[in-house]
Amino acid sequence: MIIEMNNIEKHFGDLEVLKDISFGVDSGEVVSIIGPSGSGKSTLLRCATFLETIDGGEILYMGKRAAHTDAGGHAVYVHQNELRRFRSYCGLVFQQFNLFPHYSVLKNLTDAPMHVQGRSKEEAEETAMELLGKMGIADRANAYPYQLSGGQQQRVAIARALAMKPEILFFDEPTSALDPELTGEVLKVIRQLADEHMTMVVVTHEMPFAKAVSNRVLFMDGGVIVEQGDPNEVFENPKEERTKQFLRVFER
Amino acid sequence: MTLSTMFTTMSVGMLRSFAVFMLTLLGSLPLGMVVALLKKSRFKVVRALINAYISVIRGTPLMLQLLVWYFGPFYLFGLNIGNWRFPALILGFVVNYAAYFAEIYRGGIESIPVGQYEAAEVLGYTRTQTFMRIILPQVVKRIMPSVTNEVITLVKDTSLAFTLAYQEVFSLAKQISASQTSFMPFLIAGVFYFVANYVVEFVMGRIEKALDYYK
Ligand SMILES: Nc1ncnc2c1ncn2[C@@H]1O[C@H](COP(=O)(O)OP(=O)(O)O)[C@@H](O)[C@H]1O
Ligand SMILES: [Mg+2]
Repeated sequence: MIIEMNNIEKHFGDLEVLKDISFGVDSGEVVSIIGPSGSGKSTLLRCATFLETIDGGEILYMGKRAAHTDAGGHAVYVHQNELRRFRSYCGLVFQQFNLFPHYSVLKNLTDAPMHVQGRSKEEAEETAMELLGKMGIADRANAYPYQLSGGQQQRVAIARALAMKPEILFFDEPTSALDPELTGEVLKVIRQLADEHMTMVVVTHEMPFAKAVSNRVLFMDGGVIVEQGDPNEVFENPKEERTKQFLRVFER
Repeated sequence: MTLSTMFTTMSVGMLRSFAVFMLTLLGSLPLGMVVALLKKSRFKVVRALINAYISVIRGTPLMLQLLVWYFGPFYLFGLNIGNWRFPALILGFVVNYAAYFAEIYRGGIESIPVGQYEAAEVLGYTRTQTFMRIILPQVVKRIMPSVTNEVITLVKDTSLAFTLAYQEVFSLAKQISASQTSFMPFLIAGVFYFVANYVVEFVMGRIEKALDYYK
Protein backbone atom coordinates (compact mmCIF):
# COMPACT_ATOMS: atom_id res chain seq x y z
CA MET A 1 0.00 0.00 0.00
CA ILE A 2 1.24 3.47 -0.89
CA ILE A 3 -1.36 5.22 1.20
CA GLU A 4 -3.81 3.95 3.74
CA MET A 5 -6.41 6.14 5.38
CA ASN A 6 -8.36 4.48 8.17
CA ASN A 7 -11.54 5.71 9.83
CA ILE A 8 -10.92 9.30 8.81
CA GLU A 9 -13.07 11.91 10.52
CA LYS A 10 -13.08 15.55 9.52
CA HIS A 11 -15.42 18.36 10.42
CA PHE A 12 -15.56 22.08 9.80
CA GLY A 13 -17.31 23.49 12.85
CA ASP A 14 -20.53 21.54 13.19
CA LEU A 15 -20.37 20.23 9.66
CA GLU A 16 -19.17 16.63 9.43
CA VAL A 17 -17.44 16.43 6.08
CA LEU A 18 -15.72 13.03 6.30
CA LYS A 19 -17.47 10.34 8.33
CA ASP A 20 -15.34 7.33 9.16
CA ILE A 21 -13.78 7.00 5.72
CA SER A 22 -11.36 4.17 5.06
CA PHE A 23 -9.48 3.96 1.86
CA GLY A 24 -6.18 2.64 0.52
CA VAL A 25 -4.27 2.69 -2.73
CA ASP A 26 -1.84 0.05 -3.93
CA SER A 27 1.27 0.77 -5.91
CA GLY A 28 0.45 1.26 -9.61
CA GLU A 29 -3.25 1.53 -8.97
CA VAL A 30 -5.41 4.25 -10.49
CA VAL A 31 -8.45 5.15 -8.41
CA SER A 32 -11.20 7.53 -9.53
CA ILE A 33 -13.40 9.31 -7.04
CA ILE A 34 -16.77 10.50 -8.23
CA GLY A 35 -19.63 12.10 -6.37
CA PRO A 36 -21.79 15.18 -6.15
CA SER A 37 -20.40 18.56 -5.20
CA GLY A 38 -20.00 18.99 -1.45
CA SER A 39 -19.62 15.27 -0.78
CA GLY A 40 -16.12 15.70 0.68
CA LYS A 41 -13.93 14.61 -2.25
CA SER A 42 -11.62 17.62 -2.10
CA THR A 43 -11.43 17.42 1.67
CA LEU A 44 -10.37 13.79 1.45
CA LEU A 45 -7.57 14.69 -0.97
CA ARG A 46 -6.55 17.65 1.15
CA CYS A 47 -6.33 15.42 4.21
CA ALA A 48 -4.28 12.87 2.27
CA THR A 49 -1.84 15.57 1.15
CA PHE A 50 -1.67 17.21 4.62
CA LEU A 51 -3.30 20.47 3.55
CA GLU A 52 -6.01 19.76 6.12
CA THR A 53 -5.58 18.00 9.44
CA ILE A 54 -7.86 15.11 10.27
CA ASP A 55 -9.90 15.07 13.47
CA GLY A 56 -9.80 11.31 13.86
CA GLY A 57 -8.45 8.17 12.21
CA GLU A 58 -5.01 7.39 10.87
CA ILE A 59 -2.96 8.06 7.77
CA LEU A 60 -0.15 5.77 6.67
CA TYR A 61 2.24 6.20 3.79
CA MET A 62 4.39 3.25 2.74
CA GLY A 63 3.26 1.47 5.89
CA LYS A 64 4.53 4.26 8.15
CA ARG A 65 2.17 6.23 10.32
CA ALA A 66 1.90 9.97 9.60
CA ALA A 67 -1.09 10.59 11.84
CA HIS A 68 -3.15 8.59 14.31
CA THR A 69 -5.76 9.04 17.01
CA ASP A 70 -4.40 9.02 20.55
CA ALA A 71 -6.06 7.52 23.61
CA GLY A 72 -7.84 10.83 24.24
CA GLY A 73 -9.47 10.64 20.81
CA HIS A 74 -7.39 13.44 19.29
CA ALA A 75 -5.63 13.11 15.97
CA VAL A 76 -1.88 13.57 16.36
CA TYR A 77 0.62 14.02 13.58
CA VAL A 78 4.31 13.17 13.49
CA HIS A 79 6.74 16.01 14.10
CA GLN A 80 7.05 18.80 11.51
CA ASN A 81 10.39 17.50 10.17
CA GLU A 82 9.09 14.00 9.73
CA LEU A 83 5.92 15.30 8.13
CA ARG A 84 8.06 16.84 5.41
CA ARG A 85 9.18 13.36 4.45
CA PHE A 86 5.57 12.20 4.24
CA ARG A 87 4.74 15.21 2.13
CA SER A 88 7.42 14.17 -0.34
CA TYR A 89 5.55 10.91 -0.96
CA CYS A 90 2.53 12.67 -2.42
CA GLY A 91 1.77 15.28 -5.04
CA LEU A 92 -1.43 17.19 -5.70
CA VAL A 93 -2.75 18.69 -8.92
CA PHE A 94 -5.31 21.43 -8.27
CA GLN A 95 -8.40 22.35 -10.22
CA GLN A 96 -7.04 25.91 -10.51
CA PHE A 97 -3.47 24.80 -11.46
CA ASN A 98 -1.88 27.18 -8.91
CA LEU A 99 1.29 27.62 -10.93
CA PHE A 100 3.76 30.22 -9.66
CA PRO A 101 3.13 33.16 -12.04
CA HIS A 102 6.50 34.83 -11.42
CA TYR A 103 8.46 31.72 -12.41
CA SER A 104 8.99 30.48 -15.94
CA VAL A 105 7.60 27.06 -16.81
CA LEU A 106 11.04 25.54 -16.30
CA LYS A 107 11.53 27.24 -12.93
CA ASN A 108 8.09 26.11 -11.80
CA LEU A 109 9.43 22.58 -12.30
CA THR A 110 12.94 22.99 -10.89
CA ASP A 111 12.53 25.34 -7.93
CA ALA A 112 11.12 22.85 -5.43
CA PRO A 113 13.38 19.93 -6.46
CA MET A 114 16.37 22.25 -5.98
CA HIS A 115 15.33 24.15 -2.87
CA VAL A 116 13.22 21.56 -1.11
CA GLN A 117 14.93 18.35 -2.14
CA GLY A 118 18.41 19.76 -2.64
CA ARG A 119 18.89 18.38 -6.14
CA SER A 120 21.47 19.99 -8.39
CA LYS A 121 20.39 22.48 -11.04
CA GLU A 122 21.56 20.17 -13.84
CA GLU A 123 19.64 17.20 -12.51
CA ALA A 124 16.51 19.25 -11.84
CA GLU A 125 16.56 20.79 -15.31
CA GLU A 126 17.15 17.47 -16.99
CA THR A 127 14.19 15.91 -15.18
CA ALA A 128 12.08 18.99 -15.92
CA MET A 129 12.82 18.96 -19.65
CA GLU A 130 12.12 15.26 -19.84
CA LEU A 131 8.74 15.79 -18.15
CA LEU A 132 7.87 18.77 -20.33
CA GLY A 133 8.65 16.62 -23.35
CA LYS A 134 6.29 13.95 -22.09
CA MET A 135 3.60 16.59 -21.56
CA GLY A 136 4.16 17.86 -25.10
CA ILE A 137 5.19 21.36 -24.03
CA ALA A 138 9.00 21.27 -24.11
CA ASP A 139 8.95 24.26 -26.45
CA ARG A 140 7.26 26.38 -23.74
CA ALA A 141 9.97 25.86 -21.11
CA ASN A 142 10.88 29.55 -21.04
CA ALA A 143 7.33 30.89 -21.23
CA TYR A 144 5.49 32.26 -18.22
CA PRO A 145 2.23 30.70 -17.05
CA TYR A 146 0.09 33.65 -18.23
CA GLN A 147 1.31 33.00 -21.78
CA LEU A 148 -0.11 29.45 -21.79
CA SER A 149 -3.58 28.09 -22.43
CA GLY A 150 -5.43 26.48 -19.50
CA GLY A 151 -4.68 23.03 -20.84
CA GLN A 152 -0.99 23.80 -21.11
CA GLN A 153 -0.97 25.31 -17.61
CA GLN A 154 -2.52 22.20 -16.16
CA ARG A 155 0.05 20.03 -17.94
CA VAL A 156 2.79 22.18 -16.43
CA ALA A 157 1.16 21.70 -13.02
CA ILE A 158 1.17 17.94 -13.52
CA ALA A 159 4.82 18.06 -14.56
CA ARG A 160 5.65 20.23 -11.53
CA ALA A 161 4.12 17.63 -9.23
CA LEU A 162 5.93 14.79 -11.02
CA ALA A 163 9.26 16.62 -10.83
CA MET A 164 9.23 15.89 -7.09
CA LYS A 165 9.15 12.16 -7.91
CA PRO A 166 6.19 11.40 -5.65
CA GLU A 167 5.01 7.88 -4.91
CA ILE A 168 1.43 8.88 -5.55
CA LEU A 169 -0.25 11.74 -7.35
CA PHE A 170 -3.66 13.15 -6.41
CA PHE A 171 -5.77 15.11 -8.89
CA ASP A 172 -8.66 17.31 -7.74
CA GLU A 173 -10.93 17.81 -10.74
CA PRO A 174 -7.99 18.56 -13.02
CA THR A 175 -10.17 19.49 -15.99
CA SER A 176 -13.06 21.30 -14.30
CA ALA A 177 -11.56 24.77 -14.84
CA LEU A 178 -10.86 24.11 -18.52
CA ASP A 179 -12.85 24.88 -21.63
CA PRO A 180 -14.31 21.64 -22.99
CA GLU A 181 -11.99 21.62 -26.00
CA LEU A 182 -8.96 21.64 -23.69
CA THR A 183 -9.92 18.81 -21.35
CA GLY A 184 -8.81 16.16 -23.84
CA GLU A 185 -5.14 17.11 -23.80
CA VAL A 186 -5.01 16.95 -20.00
CA LEU A 187 -6.89 13.66 -19.78
CA LYS A 188 -4.51 12.28 -22.38
CA VAL A 189 -1.43 12.88 -20.24
CA ILE A 190 -3.14 11.39 -17.19
CA ARG A 191 -4.03 8.35 -19.25
CA GLN A 192 -0.43 8.14 -20.40
CA LEU A 193 0.74 8.21 -16.76
CA ALA A 194 -1.74 5.43 -15.99
CA ASP A 195 -0.21 3.35 -18.77
CA GLU A 196 3.15 3.84 -17.07
CA HIS A 197 1.61 2.59 -13.81
CA MET A 198 1.92 5.84 -11.93
CA THR A 199 -0.10 5.48 -8.73
CA MET A 200 -2.92 8.02 -8.94
CA VAL A 201 -6.15 9.12 -7.32
CA VAL A 202 -8.32 11.27 -9.57
CA VAL A 203 -11.39 13.19 -8.49
CA THR A 204 -13.31 13.74 -11.71
CA HIS A 205 -16.67 14.30 -13.34
CA GLU A 206 -15.39 12.83 -16.64
CA MET A 207 -17.18 9.50 -16.41
CA PRO A 208 -15.97 7.91 -19.66
CA PHE A 209 -12.43 8.82 -18.67
CA ALA A 210 -12.85 7.39 -15.16
CA LYS A 211 -14.27 4.21 -16.62
CA ALA A 212 -11.49 3.81 -19.16
CA VAL A 213 -8.50 4.66 -16.99
CA SER A 214 -9.13 3.53 -13.44
CA ASN A 215 -8.71 0.17 -11.77
CA ARG A 216 -11.23 1.15 -9.15
CA VAL A 217 -13.99 3.71 -8.79
CA LEU A 218 -15.19 5.18 -5.55
CA PHE A 219 -18.53 6.93 -5.25
CA MET A 220 -18.71 9.43 -2.39
CA ASP A 221 -21.77 11.18 -1.06
CA GLY A 222 -22.36 13.04 2.19
CA GLY A 223 -18.90 12.32 3.56
CA VAL A 224 -19.03 8.56 3.15
CA ILE A 225 -17.91 6.12 0.46
CA VAL A 226 -21.26 4.86 -0.71
CA GLU A 227 -19.94 2.31 -3.17
CA GLN A 228 -16.67 1.24 -4.70
CA GLY A 229 -15.35 -1.37 -7.05
CA ASP A 230 -14.41 -2.24 -10.60
CA PRO A 231 -15.30 0.66 -12.91
CA ASN A 232 -17.43 -1.51 -15.17
CA GLU A 233 -19.38 -2.81 -12.19
CA VAL A 234 -19.94 0.61 -10.62
CA PHE A 235 -20.86 2.32 -13.88
CA GLU A 236 -22.93 -0.46 -15.46
CA ASN A 237 -24.41 -2.14 -12.42
CA PRO A 238 -24.39 0.26 -9.48
CA LYS A 239 -25.77 -1.41 -6.39
CA GLU A 240 -26.73 1.61 -4.35
CA GLU A 241 -29.70 3.77 -5.16
CA ARG A 242 -27.68 6.97 -4.58
CA THR A 243 -25.05 5.86 -7.09
CA LYS A 244 -27.74 5.10 -9.67
CA GLN A 245 -29.31 8.48 -9.16
CA PHE A 246 -26.00 10.26 -9.45
CA LEU A 247 -24.93 8.42 -12.60
CA ARG A 248 -28.28 9.02 -14.26
CA VAL A 249 -27.49 12.74 -14.35
CA PHE A 250 -24.43 12.04 -16.46
CA GLU A 251 -26.21 9.96 -19.03
CA ARG A 252 -27.30 11.77 -22.12
CA MET B 1 22.88 87.76 -3.14
CA THR B 2 23.43 86.32 -6.59
CA LEU B 3 21.40 83.44 -7.89
CA SER B 4 24.37 81.12 -7.71
CA THR B 5 25.15 81.91 -4.03
CA MET B 6 21.48 81.49 -3.29
CA PHE B 7 21.55 78.11 -4.97
CA THR B 8 24.76 77.07 -3.22
CA THR B 9 23.33 78.03 0.18
CA MET B 10 20.15 76.12 -0.56
CA SER B 11 21.93 73.06 -1.87
CA VAL B 12 22.99 72.33 1.71
CA GLY B 13 19.29 72.24 2.55
CA MET B 14 18.65 69.98 -0.41
CA LEU B 15 21.24 67.52 0.86
CA ARG B 16 19.61 67.64 4.29
CA SER B 17 16.17 66.99 2.82
CA PHE B 18 17.63 64.14 0.83
CA ALA B 19 19.21 62.69 4.00
CA VAL B 20 15.83 62.63 5.74
CA PHE B 21 14.27 61.05 2.66
CA MET B 22 16.86 58.27 2.29
CA LEU B 23 17.14 57.44 5.99
CA THR B 24 13.35 57.29 6.28
CA LEU B 25 13.09 54.90 3.34
CA LEU B 26 15.96 52.72 4.54
CA GLY B 27 14.34 52.43 7.95
CA SER B 28 10.65 52.28 7.15
CA LEU B 29 10.60 49.94 4.15
CA PRO B 30 11.97 46.96 6.15
CA LEU B 31 10.34 48.01 9.43
CA GLY B 32 6.99 48.14 7.63
CA MET B 33 7.41 44.48 6.68
CA VAL B 34 8.14 43.54 10.29
CA VAL B 35 5.01 45.43 11.37
CA ALA B 36 2.91 43.78 8.63
CA LEU B 37 4.07 40.32 9.73
CA LEU B 38 3.54 41.10 13.43
CA LYS B 39 0.02 42.18 12.58
CA LYS B 40 -0.60 38.58 11.53
CA SER B 41 0.98 37.25 14.73
CA ARG B 42 -0.54 34.31 16.56
CA PHE B 43 -0.55 36.36 19.74
CA LYS B 44 -3.55 38.56 20.34
CA VAL B 45 -1.56 41.04 22.46
CA VAL B 46 0.92 41.61 19.65
CA ARG B 47 -1.86 42.14 17.13
CA ALA B 48 -3.63 44.58 19.47
CA LEU B 49 -0.42 46.56 20.03
CA ILE B 50 0.28 46.76 16.31
CA ASN B 51 -3.28 47.86 15.59
CA ALA B 52 -3.03 50.57 18.26
CA TYR B 53 0.29 51.75 16.84
CA ILE B 54 -1.10 51.98 13.31
CA SER B 55 -4.25 53.85 14.45
CA VAL B 56 -2.27 56.37 16.47
CA ILE B 57 0.17 57.02 13.65
CA ARG B 58 -2.58 57.42 11.08
CA GLY B 59 -4.81 59.42 13.37
CA THR B 60 -2.33 62.14 14.37
CA PRO B 61 -0.28 64.63 12.32
CA LEU B 62 3.32 63.72 11.55
CA MET B 63 4.30 67.17 12.82
CA LEU B 64 2.88 66.37 16.25
CA GLN B 65 4.61 62.97 16.25
CA LEU B 66 7.94 64.64 15.53
CA LEU B 67 7.46 66.98 18.50
CA VAL B 68 6.58 64.04 20.76
CA TRP B 69 9.71 62.16 19.69
CA TYR B 70 11.82 65.22 20.37
CA PHE B 71 10.31 66.48 23.62
CA GLY B 72 8.83 63.19 24.87
CA PRO B 73 11.97 61.78 26.49
CA PHE B 74 12.38 64.91 28.61
CA TYR B 75 8.77 65.72 29.47
CA LEU B 76 7.63 62.13 29.92
CA PHE B 77 10.73 60.53 31.42
CA GLY B 78 12.92 63.44 32.48
CA LEU B 79 15.66 62.22 30.16
CA ASN B 80 18.19 64.60 28.72
CA ILE B 81 19.71 63.04 25.65
CA GLY B 82 22.53 64.91 23.93
CA ASN B 83 22.23 65.47 20.17
CA TRP B 84 18.71 64.10 20.23
CA ARG B 85 17.26 66.39 17.56
CA PHE B 86 18.31 64.46 14.46
CA PRO B 87 17.69 60.93 15.86
CA ALA B 88 14.24 62.08 17.04
CA LEU B 89 13.53 63.44 13.59
CA ILE B 90 14.50 60.24 11.78
CA LEU B 91 12.73 58.04 14.35
CA GLY B 92 9.58 60.09 13.89
CA PHE B 93 9.67 59.73 10.14
CA VAL B 94 10.62 56.04 10.14
CA VAL B 95 8.00 55.01 12.68
CA ASN B 96 5.37 57.03 10.82
CA TYR B 97 6.14 55.71 7.35
CA ALA B 98 6.58 52.13 8.59
CA ALA B 99 2.92 52.17 9.63
CA TYR B 100 1.80 53.24 6.16
CA PHE B 101 4.09 50.78 4.40
CA ALA B 102 2.89 48.02 6.73
CA GLU B 103 -0.68 48.61 5.60
CA ILE B 104 0.41 48.50 1.96
CA TYR B 105 2.35 45.25 2.52
CA ARG B 106 -0.56 43.70 4.39
CA GLY B 107 -2.93 44.51 1.54
CA GLY B 108 -0.44 42.99 -0.91
CA ILE B 109 0.07 39.84 1.13
CA GLU B 110 -3.66 39.33 1.56
CA SER B 111 -4.22 39.73 -2.18
CA ILE B 112 -2.15 36.63 -2.99
CA PRO B 113 -4.51 33.70 -3.67
CA VAL B 114 -4.51 30.98 -1.02
CA GLY B 115 -3.78 28.47 -3.81
CA GLN B 116 -0.21 29.81 -3.98
CA TYR B 117 0.37 28.87 -0.34
CA GLU B 118 -1.26 25.49 -0.82
CA ALA B 119 0.78 24.65 -3.91
CA ALA B 120 3.95 25.59 -2.04
CA GLU B 121 2.93 23.59 1.01
CA VAL B 122 2.25 20.43 -0.98
CA LEU B 123 5.61 20.83 -2.72
CA GLY B 124 7.27 20.85 0.71
CA TYR B 125 8.47 24.45 0.91
CA THR B 126 9.00 25.63 4.49
CA ARG B 127 6.99 28.65 5.66
CA THR B 128 10.00 30.91 5.27
CA GLN B 129 10.74 29.58 1.77
CA THR B 130 7.11 30.00 0.81
CA PHE B 131 7.15 33.61 1.91
CA MET B 132 10.53 34.54 0.46
CA ARG B 133 10.38 32.60 -2.82
CA ILE B 134 6.69 32.49 -3.72
CA ILE B 135 4.71 35.17 -1.89
CA LEU B 136 7.03 38.17 -1.45
CA PRO B 137 8.07 38.54 -5.11
CA GLN B 138 4.41 38.64 -6.13
CA VAL B 139 3.58 41.07 -3.33
CA VAL B 140 6.35 43.44 -4.44
CA LYS B 141 4.90 43.60 -7.93
CA ARG B 142 1.37 44.21 -6.73
CA ILE B 143 2.22 46.98 -4.28
CA MET B 144 4.56 49.01 -6.50
CA PRO B 145 1.95 51.67 -7.45
CA SER B 146 0.95 52.25 -3.80
CA VAL B 147 4.59 52.36 -2.70
CA THR B 148 5.33 54.94 -5.39
CA ASN B 149 2.50 57.14 -4.07
CA GLU B 150 3.82 56.86 -0.55
CA VAL B 151 7.40 57.69 -1.60
CA ILE B 152 6.20 60.79 -3.43
CA THR B 153 4.31 61.88 -0.33
CA LEU B 154 7.51 61.36 1.64
CA VAL B 155 9.47 63.67 -0.66
CA LYS B 156 7.01 66.44 0.15
CA ASP B 157 6.73 65.49 3.83
CA THR B 158 10.47 65.97 4.37
CA SER B 159 9.64 69.69 4.63
CA LEU B 160 7.99 68.88 7.99
CA ALA B 161 11.49 68.42 9.39
CA PHE B 162 11.45 72.18 9.97
CA THR B 163 9.24 71.39 13.01
CA LEU B 164 12.41 70.36 14.84
CA ALA B 165 14.35 73.35 13.46
CA TYR B 166 16.11 71.10 10.98
CA GLN B 167 17.34 73.31 8.16
CA GLU B 168 16.06 71.42 5.16
CA VAL B 169 15.50 73.09 1.82
CA PHE B 170 12.11 74.59 2.57
CA SER B 171 13.07 76.31 5.84
CA LEU B 172 16.17 77.68 4.13
CA ALA B 173 14.01 79.01 1.33
CA LYS B 174 11.81 80.83 3.83
CA GLN B 175 14.81 82.35 5.62
CA ILE B 176 16.60 83.49 2.49
CA SER B 177 13.40 84.81 0.97
CA ALA B 178 12.78 86.93 4.07
CA SER B 179 16.33 88.27 4.32
CA GLN B 180 16.71 88.97 0.60
CA THR B 181 13.12 89.99 -0.03
CA SER B 182 13.12 87.67 -3.00
CA PHE B 183 10.66 85.11 -4.30
CA MET B 184 13.44 83.16 -5.99
CA PRO B 185 14.23 80.75 -3.09
CA PHE B 186 10.67 79.42 -3.20
CA LEU B 187 10.99 78.77 -6.92
CA ILE B 188 14.26 76.93 -6.35
CA ALA B 189 12.67 74.85 -3.59
CA GLY B 190 9.68 74.11 -5.79
CA VAL B 191 11.89 72.97 -8.63
CA PHE B 192 13.86 70.81 -6.19
CA TYR B 193 10.75 68.95 -4.99
CA PHE B 194 9.44 68.61 -8.50
CA VAL B 195 12.69 67.20 -9.85
CA ALA B 196 13.03 64.88 -6.87
CA ASN B 197 9.58 63.48 -7.50
CA TYR B 198 10.29 63.21 -11.19
CA VAL B 199 13.31 61.05 -10.37
CA VAL B 200 11.22 58.96 -7.96
CA GLU B 201 8.57 58.35 -10.62
CA PHE B 202 11.23 57.50 -13.17
CA VAL B 203 12.99 54.99 -10.91
CA MET B 204 9.75 53.39 -9.71
CA GLY B 205 8.52 53.23 -13.29
CA ARG B 206 11.68 51.38 -14.25
CA ILE B 207 11.20 48.89 -11.43
CA GLU B 208 7.56 48.36 -12.41
CA LYS B 209 8.64 47.76 -15.98
CA ALA B 210 11.27 45.28 -14.88
CA LEU B 211 8.53 43.36 -13.05
CA ASP B 212 6.30 43.38 -16.12
CA TYR B 213 7.66 40.08 -17.42
CA TYR B 214 4.75 38.22 -15.84
CA LYS B 215 1.12 38.89 -15.02
N1 LIG C 1 -12.34 25.23 4.77
C1 LIG C 1 -13.63 24.92 4.92
N2 LIG C 1 -14.36 25.49 5.90
C2 LIG C 1 -15.65 25.18 6.06
N3 LIG C 1 -16.33 24.30 5.32
C3 LIG C 1 -15.66 23.69 4.32
C4 LIG C 1 -14.28 23.97 4.06
N4 LIG C 1 -13.88 23.21 3.02
C5 LIG C 1 -14.96 22.51 2.65
N5 LIG C 1 -16.03 22.78 3.41
C6 LIG C 1 -17.36 22.16 3.29
O1 LIG C 1 -17.18 20.77 3.35
C7 LIG C 1 -18.07 20.10 2.46
C8 LIG C 1 -17.27 19.23 1.51
O2 LIG C 1 -16.49 20.05 0.67
P1 LIG C 1 -15.52 19.46 -0.43
O3 LIG C 1 -14.61 18.50 0.20
O4 LIG C 1 -14.92 20.62 -1.12
O5 LIG C 1 -16.53 18.70 -1.39
P2 LIG C 1 -16.35 18.27 -2.91
O6 LIG C 1 -14.93 18.42 -3.28
O7 LIG C 1 -16.83 16.85 -2.95
O8 LIG C 1 -17.25 19.16 -3.70
C9 LIG C 1 -18.85 21.20 1.76
O9 LIG C 1 -20.10 21.32 2.41
C10 LIG C 1 -18.02 22.43 1.96
O10 LIG C 1 -18.82 23.57 1.99
MG1 LIG D 1 -14.02 19.62 -4.79
